[in-house]
Amino acid sequence: MTQDNEEDVFANRPKANTFFNQLKRSFSITKKDLRIYYNKGPVVIQGILFPIVLFIAFTLGRDIENIYLISGLVTMVLFLTATSIGPVVFPWETRQKTLERLLTCPISIRTILLGNIWSSFTFGSLFALVPLILASSIFRTWGSMKPWIIIPGIIIAALAFSSFSLILSVPPTDTPANTMMLTISIKFPLVFISPLFMPIDPTSYVLISPLTYFVDIINTGFTGTSAFGSYGLLLDFGVLLAFGLVFLLLAFFLHGKTVQKRF
Amino acid sequence: MNAIEVKNLSKHFTLSKKRGVGQKKSNQSLANKNPSISGLVKAVDEISFDVKRGEIFGLLGPNGAGKTTTIRMLTGILKPTNGKITIFNKDLDKNRILIQQIMGHVPEMANVYLDLTGMQNLELIGELYGVSRKERKNRAELLLKKFELLNWKDSKAKKYSKGMRQRLLLCMGLMSDPVILFLDEPTSGLDVQSSIIIKELIKEYHASGMTIILTTHDMDIANELCNRIAIMNKGKIIGLDEPHNLRKLKQEYQALDVYIKGEIKIQEIEELTNIKKVQKKRGYYHIIVDNLKLAIGEVIEYAKANNLQLEKLNTYEPKLEEVFIKMINGETTL
Repeated sequence: MTQDNEEDVFANRPKANTFFNQLKRSFSITKKDLRIYYNKGPVVIQGILFPIVLFIAFTLGRDIENIYLISGLVTMVLFLTATSIGPVVFPWETRQKTLERLLTCPISIRTILLGNIWSSFTFGSLFALVPLILASSIFRTWGSMKPWIIIPGIIIAALAFSSFSLILSVPPTDTPANTMMLTISIKFPLVFISPLFMPIDPTSYVLISPLTYFVDIINTGFTGTSAFGSYGLLLDFGVLLAFGLVFLLLAFFLHGKTVQKRF
Repeated sequence: MNAIEVKNLSKHFTLSKKRGVGQKKSNQSLANKNPSISGLVKAVDEISFDVKRGEIFGLLGPNGAGKTTTIRMLTGILKPTNGKITIFNKDLDKNRILIQQIMGHVPEMANVYLDLTGMQNLELIGELYGVSRKERKNRAELLLKKFELLNWKDSKAKKYSKGMRQRLLLCMGLMSDPVILFLDEPTSGLDVQSSIIIKELIKEYHASGMTIILTTHDMDIANELCNRIAIMNKGKIIGLDEPHNLRKLKQEYQALDVYIKGEIKIQEIEELTNIKKVQKKRGYYHIIVDNLKLAIGEVIEYAKANNLQLEKLNTYEPKLEEVFIKMINGETTL
């Protein structure tokens, strides 16, 4: 360090405060999250065990059409896995004192949150592809599948559910079990009120669940007909986009407020 | 030139009676030590100081004094309740990310990512500072070698000992090639070997011109490493000076233990210019002095003049620790 004046101190440093640089750094957070959290207890329980158990509970002994079986399973896996990492990271890192380490780096809290969203997105969408491919192979529905509807649907829904999961980690606790309680008490009712493994009734309470719109995307991706009529797909994508955006902005705002209380 | 200027910096926490979600034990202990009106804890209370470029500046104080909160504000983690922090003439509040780009930080707790390897930890920090891929690898290997961790670079950090994790933390703090390095209790709880390695490396980086701010409650470290020391207690700075000047504050602790054959007349000795008080102990005299050097001469002269055989003479100089304790007890101020 041999700078002669204060301008030199900042001059030769990588630019940090631009959108592109912060976005790039958010991918480093993602890489870290994926390396660390994929095998953590709460993630495995909520992301893998719950979908299996719930799938069995929902379908055992029932006569369900193949299409509804696929859309219900993919929706449940995507929702539960995409929301499994987000609530864990902040309390986990607060407890491990690694959040403090991150916050002293030249990144904003939004960058950290974005990194968490990308990791939840990656985790959720990859896991959703597994039942989609398996079920489509078993039921031989490849011919009727429209990937140009299903793949963008998975992407938008994974992003929306990932943003939603960050809200669940807003309380400034350092105990992951605390957020797990909150998470389960919100996620499970959402799963139960959603039209999983059944046709969508567009006049019922299922409209309040964002999962309904993803189920409709998958159903449309196989049958070509939306439960919401000819503009159904537009509605589905619009609602999921709006849902994701609202929760993203809310997460930015609330985490900005509570991060100070973590120390 | 000042690297850091701090003016009237305060941080207040509001505490509820019942410890709730997010309520920290450390804050609770602060509340116990520093109770004030209706649950408001003044963790840092109107402190002002500056840190010169290239110096090692120590924040010394007991647990709960406000050292870590001060460091957290200086590194941009916590927002101050009041006051202003300027780093190289830039307002930290308005230029946080720009300023963090020239900082390195080693927090108090061992907070490396335990599920990542040593190399992965360093690469993560390098990426977050925007260090290029090639430079990242070079820097990481150089630091791991310097801190004697190269053989462990591909082992997960959870397999590291506490000393190794602390050294890895230091590597992470240095990964950005910082102009200012913040060290929060860098040798706390470490074995002697790790402490020595860390102290030597702090000296080395300081010699290269790095500005270092360290908190410690270890007087020897502060004494050995720091150019200037601020002593903190209950959120306030109660003394700020160079270590040798702080030691001088406790002049009355300068003393001689004199082992002499025969009796000395206490009243006669106390009349000598540099002698303040004489206490007869079992087998020797404890003489509190004003000026150690001159007092030794006077005692030797007195012994010669009175045909007394001086057997042994021990000098007693104040330690920084004693100044520190005296200051936090409010017995001495600057």
